[in-house]
Amino acid sequence: MAEEILREVNGLISGITNRHVDEWKTSGKPVVGYFCHYVPREVIMATGALPLRLRGAGSEDSSSGDAYLSSRLCTFARHVMSLAIDGHYDFLDGEVSSNSCDHVRRSADVFRKKTGIAFHGFISIPRNPRESLYAYYLEELRKLLAGLEEHFGVKTGPDELREAIRQINANRERLRTINEMRAEDKPKLTGAEALSIHIASQVMPPAAFIDLADRLIEALKARPGLDTSKGRLVMVGAELDEPEYIEAIESQGALVVGDLLCFGGRSVLAPLDENADDPLDVIGRSYFFSSSCARMIGDFPKRWDELKELYGKVRGDGVIFERIIFCDPWGADLHNIMHRIEKENSFPLLSLTREYNIVPTGQLKTRVQAFLEKLEIAKAQKAQKAAAGGAK
Amino acid sequence: MNSQDILNRYEWRELIEMLPVVQDFFGGDKDSHGLNALMQGLAIYVEKTLAQVDAGKPFVWYNLGFNSELIWALGDVMPLTVEALGALHSCLGNSRITKDFIDEAQAVGVPADSCSADKLSVGAIRRGLYPKPACTVGINTPCDAQVLTTQVMAELAEAPFFPIDVPYYHNDETIVHVAGQLKELIPFLEENTGRKMDIDKLRESCNLSNQMSENLWEWLDWRKQVPLTQTSKLVGFTLFMQILFTGCQEGVDAAKAFAREARERTQRGERFFEERVRAIWYQDAVWTDLQMYDRFERELGLTIPVDVFGYFANQGVIDLSNMDSMLYGLARKLVDCHPMARQFRGDVDFYIGDAMRMLEDFQADCFIFAGHIGCKHAWGGVGLFKEACRRADIPLLVFEFDMFDDRVTSYDDVYFEVERFVNEIVLPRKQRKVA
Repeated sequence: MAEEILREVNGLISGITNRHVDEWKTSGKPVVGYFCHYVPREVIMATGALPLRLRGAGSEDSSSGDAYLSSRLCTFARHVMSLAIDGHYDFLDGEVSSNSCDHVRRSADVFRKKTGIAFHGFISIPRNPRESLYAYYLEELRKLLAGLEEHFGVKTGPDELREAIRQINANRERLRTINEMRAEDKPKLTGAEALSIHIASQVMPPAAFIDLADRLIEALKARPGLDTSKGRLVMVGAELDEPEYIEAIESQGALVVGDLLCFGGRSVLAPLDENADDPLDVIGRSYFFSSSCARMIGDFPKRWDELKELYGKVRGDGVIFERIIFCDPWGADLHNIMHRIEKENSFPLLSLTREYNIVPTGQLKTRVQAFLEKLEIAKAQKAQKAAAGGAK
Repeated sequence: MNSQDILNRYEWRELIEMLPVVQDFFGGDKDSHGLNALMQGLAIYVEKTLAQVDAGKPFVWYNLGFNSELIWALGDVMPLTVEALGALHSCLGNSRITKDFIDEAQAVGVPADSCSADKLSVGAIRRGLYPKPACTVGINTPCDAQVLTTQVMAELAEAPFFPIDVPYYHNDETIVHVAGQLKELIPFLEENTGRKMDIDKLRESCNLSNQMSENLWEWLDWRKQVPLTQTSKLVGFTLFMQILFTGCQEGVDAAKAFAREARERTQRGERFFEERVRAIWYQDAVWTDLQMYDRFERELGLTIPVDVFGYFANQGVIDLSNMDSMLYGLARKLVDCHPMARQFRGDVDFYIGDAMRMLEDFQADCFIFAGHIGCKHAWGGVGLFKEACRRADIPLLVFEFDMFDDRVTSYDDVYFEVERFVNEIVLPRKQRKVA
């Protein structure tokens, strides 16, 4: 039963659109693509549009993107832009970009100049989440909302924003439940499966997702727990919307029981106040202050604490850091994570640099295998020490 | 740490020993006012650093997008840019040490695909080469790569950190937003350095900054003349002067000397190389070997009147009337004048627009897009830049290299690319046009 629903989930995320998006479009309602997690879905939803997270799924090659963005940019951006340039994103009624990083910033240029998409929104997200900079972010959200309203000819009030908050809250509530199930001693689902469902939540209408997630949660309850004796891993890092990558990691026996990935755990914010007087402010504060990406400068200590907290909560044995080649912000975090580990001896770390749309299974599996062996040896040594201590 | 500790480190010692050698080298050319003044300024900068360490007075670290007027205005506080050591070694011809820093950074987790300007900063910080700061200031300009330096600086400095956000847009709101943060920065600096900001000192520092700006603008105006009478390799030092000397006398002296040199050489009608092609070097200079520019001039007749490190846009001087007007002027200088910070943020139209403006103002024939491999925003804009050049019928050379690491693309390969472009594309084209 769970397998059947998970197959359905995989079908929904295997390309950049799916039957729910098609139905939404057929009913005459707009779809707006967005790149970055700092673009609140609630703002797009409040205007009656479906927010659709931009992905490169199904892209067979990035040559059109490479022609504009060169081969020295993030392959995620290049695949997304290849699809956009080649017209695969033409079904979008709008797109919202941001200055999240140079890769997304330059993709925004290409979106504007090389696609026929009618609406181009942009938000400049301050580089540090402190109170004095929040007003700027909120103003950017107001401008985005006004731009969407004007383009789609709608008027959005607090009620529409509150309704959007309710729907996204309900989505996240399901994801939290799923994350708890994956962190159990005998997890009910794999890390790859968990990522799939997180991705699905960002590429379909919230109501349809709730139905899907509820069915899945029920089915998972009846599923036997999975073995984690080979290792419980936590993943942290940049963009990753390819469950097959985690699948390759897990094929070596360990399970990814928690993550702080952009499409995964980091997208699950705490519930927002559904009855607030100023719902846009509630949305803005939640996105700006609670979800820290490596593009936020001076915020590494918070990200480090979150990682340690998650590692403890899910009883991790090791951490896998992943980063798409050419990503500077996450490159800085890798250095800082390694530095903290050196100082605090916090946890074993495996760092992986990858390309989008390529799962280098051979090389990846060998590295993961070696890492798991290291974890096993460390466990055995610890047990030996403990036994020796007890004998004394 | 005292000055002896610094002198015991070969990374400092070699720099200190090299300065008089380079000074003597340029001192031989009595007309080389600019480089002489720059070397003099660097010697003073090192002396000041050593004296500051011995006096136990505070340092404030910052990254290369920031300017130091506010720090000078605290009195006896010394600004220190974390790129200084690695970058200076490279441009003074000792890139071995720069590459040591790069390797050091890569060994501790900084990805090889990152910008070498960041790597050389991280390497120097990791080696503990800079005196401990009272606090640090990070800014997200000139480009996204600086996120790396600022994050690592914040992590390793073990001192309070103040981040400055520069938004995407080129408008007045951006300047006001940054000015507001500079206002916020003042109590932060005061608290952490134990010094009080003095408005008269700030006025003095901004006044020196204005004098430096005016001289830089004059210098650039002289470099617009055809033919260029002052060597190509000098222009990129504008950025170095901005980072190290803005707001102090050494900056004024160096900028004045560069302007004077260009003026005098032009007025004398000097032509020590035959100019056949003028190019806008749009992107990063070959800091691993600046002598390459001399060879371009000598062997190809190629001159570079301006590059992206050298283009200091004229947006007017800082209004010294009051605190707010000075903060506004400083913010405008940071985001709209500071080389690179101006072009390396915002949309690609601005980036291309500035290139076209430079081409026209400096009467150039072509563009050389020297694609520093770590410069993601530039590479991300290269497709649209190529299209713009095609539309405007301007020859464009695009090649990959690393501005601080010649292990990526060798000297010979860079030279070969440029030589072929000049001889096989630009010159025949110019000849066809004349015919």
